[in-house]
Amino acid sequence: MDLALFVLLLVLVAVLAGLVGSLTGLGGGVVMIPLLVVLFATSIPVAIGTGFVTILATSSATGATYVRDRLSDIRIGMFLEIATVPGALIGATATVFLTHANLTSALLIALGVVLLGTIPVVLSRRNVEIPVEMPQGPVARRLGLAGVYHDRSLNRDVPYRAARARPALGVMFTAGVVSGMFGIGAGVLKVLALERSMNLPMKVSTATSNFMIGVTAAAGAGVMLAAGYVNPVVAAPVAIGSALGAFLGSRLLPRLRNRTVRMIYLPVVLVLSVEVILRGLGIA
Amino acid sequence: MTTATVPTDVPPVVPHPLPDRAYERMTLVLRVGLGLSLAILGAGVVAYLLQNRGATSSHILSNNPILSYLSFGGLASGLADGSVGAVLTLGLIVLVATPIVRVASGLYYFRKGGERAMTGIAFAVLVLLLLGVLVIGPLIR
Repeated sequence: MDLALFVLLLVLVAVLAGLVGSLTGLGGGVVMIPLLVVLFATSIPVAIGTGFVTILATSSATGATYVRDRLSDIRIGMFLEIATVPGALIGATATVFLTHANLTSALLIALGVVLLGTIPVVLSRRNVEIPVEMPQGPVARRLGLAGVYHDRSLNRDVPYRAARARPALGVMFTAGVVSGMFGIGAGVLKVLALERSMNLPMKVSTATSNFMIGVTAAAGAGVMLAAGYVNPVVAAPVAIGSALGAFLGSRLLPRLRNRTVRMIYLPVVLVLSVEVILRGLGIA
Repeated sequence: MTTATVPTDVPPVVPHPLPDRAYERMTLVLRVGLGLSLAILGAGVVAYLLQNRGATSSHILSNNPILSYLSFGGLASGLADGSVGAVLTLGLIVLVATPIVRVASGLYYFRKGGERAMTGIAFAVLVLLLLGVLVIGPLIR
């Protein structure tokens, strides 16, 4: 393929990934990585390294708005990063070792299975805007994991308190390993821990997950970049396209219903997961 | 979308809420970091296309220029020579550094607020992030 056309297509596909990533709060890597492998014949470790770039661009583009509007809870996000960051370092290191051991087919199959695994979680995501109050655990109380945000749709300030901090740390460590290993944001797991373990409101969970995704991705990207698994000529157009897509997504999000977003996400991820698994098995 | 019982009767316990300035600084870090990295990467892509007219995608996929610029000396001499690969690498480094600077900014405000536990947590996160870039990555290359 001609170089200019290749770069243009990378930008366009990254716009799509950034759009889906910001609309779903999942970071965009789930779409970008399989597309890099399937459409652009990129090797799996370079695709994973580029996935981190997609997440970093998406998270920074949308995260600025969430932080400005006080929707991202910096205190809770920082506390949970103590689990996601070491997880991501372990995951990314494992990917490099699997690549050195010529086990990239196993990595592809595992990636496909992880992508398929996000589907039931996205489907089962609860639709409770503001959860019922739960008692705070000792860790959450000691660190003051609580806050207030202004809900524009309800037109009032909503106070909240994080409930169970310890189980959330366990889920976040797993999310970090998955993120580091496959170059995806693992936002599904992060939102799950924030909503269900910590009992945070939906908007705070989504915004705080986005805040954390960037830091987790920086951990994985740092390892993959320093290990030489990020190709800048592939990653640069992807970063530009992802940021553009995320910006468009943040404009579109208020006009879209949750259900519409899921209907976009599910078929795309289903097809890509199957394709990636088939490639890993040497069938496609 | 449903709205369950709202906990309006229970005020949140935030011992030292972060000042507005902390949120403003972190927003600024994200915007400047992303803008700067995209500007560098955009300029790098245009220069790369102009330098490699007529090349194909297989050229990109089989040649990863980043390997020459992963040390500080390699990157500095590449930038001094006007190498496009070095420029693109610099753009990626700025992109990766943006959330790390955000964590450092959080550390600063937690410390300023006298929150020892949160300062310790932010410091540990920062050390782990730097460990990944400066130690683990180069070790397993």
